[in-house]
Amino acid sequence: MASDTGLTHGINLDALERKSTVLNIESETICLETNALDLFYGEKQALKGVNIKLPEKRVSAFIGPSGCGKSTLLRCFNRMNDLVDTCRIAGSITLNGEDIYAKSVDVAELRRRVGMVFQKPNPFPKSIYENVAYGLRLQGVKNRRVLDEAVERSLNGAALWDEVKDRLHDSALGLSGGQQQRLVIARAIAIEPKVLLLDEPASALDPISTLKIEELIHELKDNYTIIIVTHNMQQAARVSDYTAFMYMGELIEFGDTDTIFTNPSEKQTEDYITGRYG
Amino acid sequence: MTNSSDSAPNSLSRKGQYNARNIKDWLTGFGMGVGGIGVIVAIVLIFFYLLYVVFPLFIPAGMHKLADYPLPARNAGQTLHFTVEEQNEVAVRFTDKAHAVFFKARTGEVIQDISLPVPAKNSTTSFAHGQLSKGQVVYGLDNGKALVVRYTYKITYPDDKQLITPQIEFPLGNKPITVDRRGEPLLQVSLGSDDEKNTIVALTQDKRLLMVRLQKAESMLSDEDEEPRYEQSIVKLPAVEKAASLLVDNEQHILYVAEQSGHVTVIDISETDEPKFIERVRVVTENITISRMRFLTGGISLLIGDSTGVTTQWFPVREAEGFRLKRIRSFAMTKGSAVTDLVTEQRRKGFVTANALGEVAVHHSTADRTIMQKKLADEPPAHITISPRADTLLAEMKNTDFQFWHIENEHPEISWRVLWQQVWYESYEQPGYTWQSSSASNDFEPKYSLVPLAFGTLKAAFYAMLFAVPLAIMGAIYTAYFMTPVMRAYVKPSIEIMEALPTVILGFLAGLWLAPGIEQNLPGVFSVLVLLPFGVILFAWGWHNLPANIRNRVPEGWQAAILVPVVFLIGWFSIGISPLLETVLFSGDMRQWMDKELGMGYDQRNSLVVGIAMGVAVIPTIFSITEDAIFSVPKHLTFGSLALGATPWQTMMRVVLLTASPGIFSAVMIGLGRAVGETMIVLMATGNTPVMDFSIFQGMRTLSANIAVEMPESEVNSTHYRVLFLAALVLFIFTFMFNTMAEIVRHRLRRKYSSL
Repeated sequence: MASDTGLTHGINLDALERKSTVLNIESETICLETNALDLFYGEKQALKGVNIKLPEKRVSAFIGPSGCGKSTLLRCFNRMNDLVDTCRIAGSITLNGEDIYAKSVDVAELRRRVGMVFQKPNPFPKSIYENVAYGLRLQGVKNRRVLDEAVERSLNGAALWDEVKDRLHDSALGLSGGQQQRLVIARAIAIEPKVLLLDEPASALDPISTLKIEELIHELKDNYTIIIVTHNMQQAARVSDYTAFMYMGELIEFGDTDTIFTNPSEKQTEDYITGRYG
Repeated sequence: MTNSSDSAPNSLSRKGQYNARNIKDWLTGFGMGVGGIGVIVAIVLIFFYLLYVVFPLFIPAGMHKLADYPLPARNAGQTLHFTVEEQNEVAVRFTDKAHAVFFKARTGEVIQDISLPVPAKNSTTSFAHGQLSKGQVVYGLDNGKALVVRYTYKITYPDDKQLITPQIEFPLGNKPITVDRRGEPLLQVSLGSDDEKNTIVALTQDKRLLMVRLQKAESMLSDEDEEPRYEQSIVKLPAVEKAASLLVDNEQHILYVAEQSGHVTVIDISETDEPKFIERVRVVTENITISRMRFLTGGISLLIGDSTGVTTQWFPVREAEGFRLKRIRSFAMTKGSAVTDLVTEQRRKGFVTANALGEVAVHHSTADRTIMQKKLADEPPAHITISPRADTLLAEMKNTDFQFWHIENEHPEISWRVLWQQVWYESYEQPGYTWQSSSASNDFEPKYSLVPLAFGTLKAAFYAMLFAVPLAIMGAIYTAYFMTPVMRAYVKPSIEIMEALPTVILGFLAGLWLAPGIEQNLPGVFSVLVLLPFGVILFAWGWHNLPANIRNRVPEGWQAAILVPVVFLIGWFSIGISPLLETVLFSGDMRQWMDKELGMGYDQRNSLVVGIAMGVAVIPTIFSITEDAIFSVPKHLTFGSLALGATPWQTMMRVVLLTASPGIFSAVMIGLGRAVGETMIVLMATGNTPVMDFSIFQGMRTLSANIAVEMPESEVNSTHYRVLFLAALVLFIFTFMFNTMAEIVRHRLRRKYSSL
């Protein structure tokens, strides 16, 4: 899209330039797959027969107008929707072929494997160190060296280490918004999940911080399957390999990002992308 | 654009609106300001009112001279003793020529000069006064006889003017009583008397110590009749050749003989027929002599003034082998100058000493302090006396002029030590913290230690918190975090409405229903404490292992409801097996068993009852604030934790409680503040005994209950009244301290743990 070049944030776009490898969904390993997924909040149906296959170690973006169900779909992958009392689900979701809504599934274990980062940075009111170590401590890790290493590795992974290494034991609440969001990502990757769900991770941040988060996503995709929900289409275009367009609870189109943005097969997708509505 | 609209001439209506808005703004601001400042002013006023009432306790005493006049009726002889009556109008002077001279205390004008019926051929050789409030004195004569004289004042109001008429009476008859049949002169005498009997002890010239006891006969109709006389008992004592003075106590049980060697010999004279030597105690160090020996009011404590200006207080203390005279405390005047006179107050445990430098000092024994010292003249006063109300000091100087001093010394008995430290009171085996604000007579002083009350307050609050905090906080955690919203909508208001329950009803139930109930079912109460947690956990485990189709019939979040019958069942079962347990384990009576085996006494209205009752009063407060704090932990934090693979329980413990900690902390502190200030429950459900015992089976008296109990009985502006206000001030400071501390800690916690 031409809009890439029109950014005024002073971001060095070259840094984000993707390798122009040709992506083909058929040749990817599928990580997450939904099958005729319906979701109801009480009487209201929020997802209607969603079938989607999300490839491993790629960045997939969900775009669509507000209320289209993209965040709802994202939350299905780590069963955060369970926390909503009136939520019901039909259909199935598999993670590497395993049904995540099966009765035998331990939700906590599922969430350990499917990490999530929310729109608003939500560090715990603890030190930076303790925030990152939180997930490991949950699993009973007490060994100081293991924790130290994990904290350093995760903070490095989230490109935050250099900024905070001198004040690991200060409160995480003293960090800036962008740092907090990267800390939350570090916290999520500290427990080495398979999938990382990012729910509009940069929408509460300033442009510079947004850029850093995007750079980070770019680096993380080598190791994690990343699913990102975003309102910002430029962002989706910049960071994702595949893009899904959702509208009114339905998956309208899913394909590699270049195709979706340059040559969508559905009229609705094109209308949305070109700004006719949304 | 904006410029033009601002300056537009057609903006009149807008301007009007603007003004109305301004006025509303101003009114609101003013209203809030007045309200806020009003609250602060009210609290400050309360504080200062308390301070205003308490303050006189700590005003230093003072004295100033009102009059100065020459010795009244100089010809009547030299003064042996003189006193002034209640109104400070009339004083009496007993002389060595056996005259009683009544004179106006302020001017020295002689009212009456009465010659006492001492036979003309005899002269007086010794003199002593009995208990000052009885107004009795005794003269020892040179023929071995003694004359007991009583002076009284009759107050009449002819023509609406107060007239005080002094009178002289002879309670044991106007003929001298024979003390020594051999007729030796009596060098020393002492008189003890109560309603039933009189005792005169005398030292004769040939060093015999004699006692005459006069018991009132039942059949006698009037005091004018001669009293029956009892056998004389002659007591032989070691080394009494230098006996300096004698003292018989009011009850006539003990005779103290001060010796010039610095010893006091104690003799038990309670049995007329067999007086017993008890002990001989050195009361001053070598080379120091006893210059005065007097009873403190009440006749228990001995005050001994010595030649160095030190006065020591002694009283008998129970020990293994019986009562022994113990040195309790000492009071100093200017060093090196002997105590020349020592007079005691009649209604308080205060006394005044005079020394050879012409100084007088006012002391208070239990407060352990010298309140003031003043120089009267350059010469030593021959005699001093203090009025019954202790507001006037009369001093006769060596050069025979009289001084009339006014003393302002309203509250000598209060000192920091009395309020907050251990004090050794008369008849106690050791120093202790005692609150006993009123007594039957002036002989026993009120004891104003605030320590047992403060202790009781904290103890009651402690047990209440012990009961309330775990229940309230755990209940709040469950309600806020695990309970279904529908059930929460019933549970939370129900518990909060408990707060509206008048505490008098809680206290009433606790005192009249719970306390006897617990007493009768003590083993049952304890089995509830043991069985309930067990039972609940066992039930939960059993429930967890039930088939899913049974479990699923109970909607998510409603599981707590099915615990209710379980709790009732366990309670009913525990009370049911109570008698059985008591028979099997505690041989029929757990209270006796505890008393025998553990040495723990059981008070029916005890801390357990108060803990439960006050706990119930405090639970709604703590519950409500804690619940709010937990419920308002931002959802994104809990989601963040859950998304990291934490179980709800882990999230609760590691994130929610931490984030809610400032709120939980203030909930506990507010609950504590309420428990400390709570009055009705402790008033009704404790025995109100000011004991210092941490046992859960003992009662207590709290500051607040103490104020409620005693304030109606205390005389306005008395020491007692002011000490009660002081207790209120302490309570105020307690709550103020708790709240301030809570606020500081809460702020720190909030800075540390509050989320964005």
